[in-house]
Amino acid sequence: MEFGKNLFNGIIPENPIFRLMLGMCPTLAVTTAAVNGLGMGLATTVVLVGSNVVIALLKNVIPEKIRIPAFVVIIASFVTIVGMLLKAYIPSLDKSLGLFIPLIVVNCIILARAESFASKNNVMNSLADGLGMGLGFTLALTIIASIRELFGAGSIFGISLFGAGFEPAIMMILPPGAFLTLGLLLALLNKVTATK
Amino acid sequence: MREIARLSLVLFVITAVAALLLGATNYVTKDVIAEQIRIENENARMEVLSDADSFEQMDQATITGLADSLGIDNTVIEEVYEGKAGSDTVGYTFKSLPKGYGGSITVLTGISMDGTVTGMRVVSHNETPGLGAKSTEKDFMDQFSGLNAQSDVEVIKSGTAQNNQINAITGATITSQAIADGVNYSIKMFNELNK
Repeated sequence: MEFGKNLFNGIIPENPIFRLMLGMCPTLAVTTAAVNGLGMGLATTVVLVGSNVVIALLKNVIPEKIRIPAFVVIIASFVTIVGMLLKAYIPSLDKSLGLFIPLIVVNCIILARAESFASKNNVMNSLADGLGMGLGFTLALTIIASIRELFGAGSIFGISLFGAGFEPAIMMILPPGAFLTLGLLLALLNKVTATK
Repeated sequence: MREIARLSLVLFVITAVAALLLGATNYVTKDVIAEQIRIENENARMEVLSDADSFEQMDQATITGLADSLGIDNTVIEEVYEGKAGSDTVGYTFKSLPKGYGGSITVLTGISMDGTVTGMRVVSHNETPGLGAKSTEKDFMDQFSGLNAQSDVEVIKSGTAQNNQINAITGATITSQAIADGVNYSIKMFNELNK
C-alpha cells in the first residue's frame, strides 16, 4: 500500500518538474527531441533508484552534520561507476545515453530526494520514491520534448508527421522554445488543478 | 574536538570506500573501454575508405611538420592513417578536431588516391542535441562522399548544393561549418602528402 503511494507520489502529485520545479537545467537543455527526453529520463531514473537505495541503507551510519558531502560522494561515485560500466559493456546504450550521464550528477532531483526522502525512510519506500520520481521526471521530459519536436522539427520520436511541405518553427528547438513550452505547460497545469 | 575527529573519520571512510570502488571499476573496465574505442575507430576508418583492407598509422612528427608548412594549427589534425589494399596505398584517413559550438568535434575524413572524398564520419562531439547533434545523421554525413579534394568544401544555408557545396543543418550552421573546416584541413593535408 505504502509502496504504491510512494511510487505514485512522484508521478503526478509531486512531479519533480511540474510540481517541485527541480532539475530545470536538464529539462530545458535536453528536451529538443522526444527520444532525448525519454533517454535522459530513464537514465536519471536508474541513478535515482540506485542512490535512494544506497542512502536509505547507510542513513544510520552517516552523521547528521556531514550528510550533504556524504550524499554527494555517494551519488557521484554511483553515477561514475554506472557510466564506466556502460562504456565498457553496453557501448550501444552508451552512445545514445552517454551524453546525459555526466549531466545526471548535477541534477538536483537526486540530492533533493536523498535529503528529503531516502535519509528518513526505509529501503523499500526509498526505492518506490526513486522509481516514482524518476518516472515522473521521464514523463514530464517526454511531454515537453514531444511538443518541442512537433513544432520545431515536425516529427515525434523522429517520425515525420506533416510531410515535406511543413516549415518547422526552429525557435522551438532552440533555448527560447524550452522556456515557452515549460511556462505554458505549467500555466495550463495550474489552471486545470486550481481550486477556488 | 572529539566530535570533529569523529566526523572527519566517518567522512574519510566514506570517501575512501568510494575511491576504492571507483578504482576497482576503472581497473576492470579500462582495457575493455580502450578495446571498444579501438574497434570503433577501426570500423569508422573502414567506412570512410572502404577500398582499403588494412590501415597503417603515419608518423606523428611528419604530420605536425606538414601542418606547420601549410600554416594550419598543428593540433587540428590528430591522426593520419594510410589505407592499403594489399601493398598498394589506396588513400588516407584523417582525424581532425575542428572547433564546433560545444568544443572540438572529431571528424574522420577518407580521401582516395585519385583525389575524391570517399566519406566523412563524425566520430564524437558535444553539440546540442536536436541541432548540431544531427551532424551524426547519415543524410548529412553522406553529402561529403564523392566531393572533389582539389578545392575546399563550401557550406550553403539554402538552395541546392552544387559542385563542392554541402547543405548546412538547419539551425546548426556553426556545427556544419566546423565539420566542413575539418574536411578542408584534411583536403589540404592530402594534397600536401600527395605532391
